[in-house]
Amino acid sequence: MTPDDVLTGLEAPLSLRRRVSSVAAGLAGLTGSSLIALLWATEPVLPARTHVAFGVLVAIGLAWAGFAGWAVTRRTPLFARDRVVAAWLGVAAWLLFTAGGLAIALGRHRLSPWLIVVIAVLGVAAAGNLHAARRARARLLRRALLLGR
Amino acid sequence: MRDEALVVRCQLGDRDAFGDLVRAWHQPVERYVGRMLGRADDDVVQEVWLAVVRGLPRLRQPERFAPWLFAIARRAVMNRLRQAYASAESEPITGDLPADGSDTDLVLDRELVDGALAALPRAEREVVLLFYLEDLPLDACAQICDVPVGTVKSRLHRARRLLRAELLRKGYQA
Repeated sequence: MTPDDVLTGLEAPLSLRRRVSSVAAGLAGLTGSSLIALLWATEPVLPARTHVAFGVLVAIGLAWAGFAGWAVTRRTPLFARDRVVAAWLGVAAWLLFTAGGLAIALGRHRLSPWLIVVIAVLGVAAAGNLHAARRARARLLRRALLLGR
Repeated sequence: MRDEALVVRCQLGDRDAFGDLVRAWHQPVERYVGRMLGRADDDVVQEVWLAVVRGLPRLRQPERFAPWLFAIARRAVMNRLRQAYASAESEPITGDLPADGSDTDLVLDRELVDGALAALPRAEREVVLLFYLEDLPLDACAQICDVPVGTVKSRLHRARRLLRAELLRKGYQA
């Protein structure tokens, strides 16, 4: 077995596209299920089968989020650069959720305070995650420069 | 220093650095796995590298890459041995690693040493491989084997005694 054989066997976990796809799928699932849950919670009267349909859609979104979480922690790890990309995707997902949430709330002429709180908490989490990812990458870049001298 | 720089570049997501890291460490890993199992095992080697890829982003001390790598290799070897014992596939220790080199005496010496190493108990063989062949310090060997440094020293002492006895038994003249 040669080193190139080893690297060929590691194509999947080292594939940037695969890692970013996992993160994107997870965030899409999470955002989608959150918006559907918001819609579900704010609908006044719904028939039983619509409740079931909403529940199934939320479960599918959460399943994608869970699968992506497992993939990026166990199967295809996120390196420093990927974490920054993932954090930006997180910010994009937050913006999408904010826009969708506000559209739903304003469409019903009822902006509840808890929605503002949820949006604010998620925004702080997304910004904090981005900051931490960028700081970790900058620290590694500094170390690489130092070692490269 | 070079390994540390490579590891940091890998943690940043530099794929070329990972290729360099594999090229630098593949042979020691393959040698360790081969000698611990008594035969070459590509699946275990691949498993080790897969665990390295998955664990590398969380490695806090890139300068301690070598002990970390061998700890992973050790775990993979132990898992394979456990599987072999569980399925009662006791394979004889043959020491049939490929010998490269054209010098006949060198090959014979190497076979003699391989045979003597294979005859050592697993714990003693492991510390000899790590300390003498991979040139790792005592504390790194202790970290990999998950035992105190004193235990590594006593295993080395016992291993030297057993190796000497085995080589003399095979007619090697010191």
